[in-house]
Amino acid sequence: MSELRTLADAFDAALQEAKIQKYTYTVSTSEKQELNVETGSFKLMRTVFNNNGSVSVFLGAKNGAANGNDLSPEGIRKLVADAIAAAESAPEDPCHDFGPDQGQKVFRQGVTEPDLDRFLDRTKELLDLIARDYPKVRVMAAIAAFDRWNWISRNTNGTEFEGIGGQYSFSLEFSAMEGEQTTGIDFVGFSTGDLDTPFIEMSDVRKHLEDVQKSLNPESVSGKFEGTVIFTPGCGNQFLSMLLENYATSGVIIDGTSLWLNKVGEKVCSDSLTVKFDPFDARIVMGERATQDGYLTEPVTVIENGVLNCHMLNLYAANKTGRPLTKNTGWDLVVEPGTESFEELVSSVDKGLLVGGFSGGQPGTNGEFSGVAKNSFLIENGKVTKAVTETMINGNLGEAFAHIRGISKEQICDGGSVMPYIAVDGIVISGK
Amino acid sequence: MLQDLIGSKTSLFAEGMQTVLRGHENRTRRVVLLKGNVVQNSRSEERGVSARVNKNGTFGFASMADYSGAAAEKVLKAATENAVFLSGHSGIDLALPKSTCSGLIETNRGIEDAKQKQILEFCKTVDSYIESKYPDLSSRVVSYYEDSQDRIIYSSDACCGHLVTPRCYLYVVLNSETKDGVPVELFKAFGGYGCFGDQFAHPEELYSEIDALYKRLMDKKEGVYAEAGYKTVVLGGLMGGMLAHEAVGHTVEADLVRGGSVAGPSLGKRVASDLVSLVDFAHTYEGKPAPLPVYLDDEGTKAIDDVLIRDGILVGYMNDRESAEQFGMQPTGNARGWRFCDEPLIRMRNTCVLPGKNSLEELIASVEDGYYLIDSGNGQADLTGEFMFGVTCGYEIKNGKLGRALLDTTVTGVAFEMLKTVDMVSDTVQWSSSGFCGKKQPMAVGMGGPCMRCKIMIGGR
Repeated sequence: MSELRTLADAFDAALQEAKIQKYTYTVSTSEKQELNVETGSFKLMRTVFNNNGSVSVFLGAKNGAANGNDLSPEGIRKLVADAIAAAESAPEDPCHDFGPDQGQKVFRQGVTEPDLDRFLDRTKELLDLIARDYPKVRVMAAIAAFDRWNWISRNTNGTEFEGIGGQYSFSLEFSAMEGEQTTGIDFVGFSTGDLDTPFIEMSDVRKHLEDVQKSLNPESVSGKFEGTVIFTPGCGNQFLSMLLENYATSGVIIDGTSLWLNKVGEKVCSDSLTVKFDPFDARIVMGERATQDGYLTEPVTVIENGVLNCHMLNLYAANKTGRPLTKNTGWDLVVEPGTESFEELVSSVDKGLLVGGFSGGQPGTNGEFSGVAKNSFLIENGKVTKAVTETMINGNLGEAFAHIRGISKEQICDGGSVMPYIAVDGIVISGK
Repeated sequence: MLQDLIGSKTSLFAEGMQTVLRGHENRTRRVVLLKGNVVQNSRSEERGVSARVNKNGTFGFASMADYSGAAAEKVLKAATENAVFLSGHSGIDLALPKSTCSGLIETNRGIEDAKQKQILEFCKTVDSYIESKYPDLSSRVVSYYEDSQDRIIYSSDACCGHLVTPRCYLYVVLNSETKDGVPVELFKAFGGYGCFGDQFAHPEELYSEIDALYKRLMDKKEGVYAEAGYKTVVLGGLMGGMLAHEAVGHTVEADLVRGGSVAGPSLGKRVASDLVSLVDFAHTYEGKPAPLPVYLDDEGTKAIDDVLIRDGILVGYMNDRESAEQFGMQPTGNARGWRFCDEPLIRMRNTCVLPGKNSLEELIASVEDGYYLIDSGNGQADLTGEFMFGVTCGYEIKNGKLGRALLDTTVTGVAFEMLKTVDMVSDTVQWSSSGFCGKKQPMAVGMGGPCMRCKIMIGGR
């Protein structure tokens, strides 16, 4: 019997000793090996061994939870006692619950025995390539991490899930410099289950490096105009996440502030937009297999050809509102490609921006956004012309995705999402 | 509170290397009421031990989720092996930073743990007040969040000590709709340094500020979009604090200076009008505890104030021991990690623009056509000093008087250009400490500032 299974049994024993009849818990162990690069040189090697236990206790219709990493017998008993204390103090609310018996399942994903020498070599290979081919690029930091974990989740309805997995992840933080001129920071990263591909070919690493070299001596857009914005895959991911957070997730449906509260089955975005959360897509490295509500994860198409198919509701929100549960937490974003190439999208724009990053206030429930276009370029007469600075974009999330000009047929996969370029009209662009 | 289980292991520190051994605990307490529903009710505790070893400028770090003497032995061995391994690949060969302090920093305070029932009852009382007094709200959130850090530090050649940093907040979010049915919201954070009992003895003490928040929300219901462009504004104290942290603070963190920040070539030069001075306070401001006091950092450096801008001239960076050596500055205690498994990074503590001589009323009266920007939801900046703050609460200024409220907007600028436009500074500092700063790891920080009149880019329809 594995050490983790013994720990899980200790949770059952402690909860039963406390005479708790309804509970769910998750216990996990994890290990991280991480290489940190600073200003181009290997600077720190970090090893982390961690544990975690989280327990949720139900006393009738009262629910409380506790979380901690002390998995000694005393630590487990304290976690159980803390969860009971939280439940005892809670008001009755029968909407707190977990899913019915899903049986016993084991999920094995990714790689559990890393090739750290090859990982180091791939990292060095990229750093050497950057130094040789991108002389203006300054690597401020790079993190090459291998994580592996084992977790077991059980509940009193009979479900037992076990996850065993591991993945490599790599992130790069960089800028370009020439004399005293410097660009803003750019980031790119990805996760992967193997090391077969040179890192320069992963995700859109090469495009980021090319673009940052072109970003020296940026200019502010002159005046204010309404134009088209092409979101890069990374920035499009950021905007779609804000859209769904403000319009379709549990909190805004429970409190009724969502502008899509009664829009299921209706057209809310342009026809060309189809948004899925598909953890079983082969391009997703470590897709979700089980939800925190104790259900087996299912793929979900939230928006299909512009029509809202469902909200993204957890079990509490579904019970609270009487609306359908979504057996998917919403981590594995896949947006269907369009029919035009990225170049064709650019050539269709008279005046607008190619936006690589957005630095703005978190939009409120009205969807209004306002922020600075980062890592961005001006588009004039169908061509990308110059890098911009101190340039703002303003609009409304719902209106933006209801006015999609086009979606690229190219998709970028970073291991956690699959995204095309998305061009939207009607964005207010302003400079000094 | 952590008991000292690791002090006896300092004899295992490797010769010829700099080692720090750290026992570390994080605790959180969280309750969230969404429209009266308890959607979160949880407690969390996490502790462990870590070691960081510096071998000629290359670092090894290791941690375990086990706070014990045996775990300390294991992480010391693993961190030393990591440093030795990486040193062979890094090509770095630096002299170890010199020692700048020694001795023991005594424990600064204790932690008093409130029962979950107390916290829930407090939240429910506040929620009931809002629900009964303001039934016209479309929604509301009352959320309690407490985190505390408790660390014991042993250093091979600096200070040792025990630092306890609890903080707790009650966040109130009020939602309404404009006449066109467009949702609007405002939030306010109450609380600060200390435990539940220090901050939240009586719920009725919050009611006047909740009433003021409601009034501003009603103003915002009738609000207008800002006119996009380059405008004269009065930044409120909370916005001044955001400016201190985001726009300037990050650019003068020495690791970002090494990465190419605009502060590199600006040292010793004018970066702001002579009305602007900026200090990262360690633990004391005007004779009282700073919002989140830091007495000792995670390298064992005794924390002292760090003057960054004096009368408009950039005079310093925030450093760890190694960067201080590199830049010829004094380490001031800025190296901190968030969890037991986090290596220390250069972080701000209590970063503040110093007050001036004008009153807020004088600032507002001096603006013919502009905006008074009161509160911010978030902010970001990058190496160039280009910053962005989300503005959640603000008003027009017309002919020296406040006008209509603003809907959410954003301001931006380049710090070292924008700060040169500051031509009036108010005499009172407003602090905040309820958020997190993100830089690989989260970190609790304080930020403060006076009101400032300046020119800035504002977004709008």
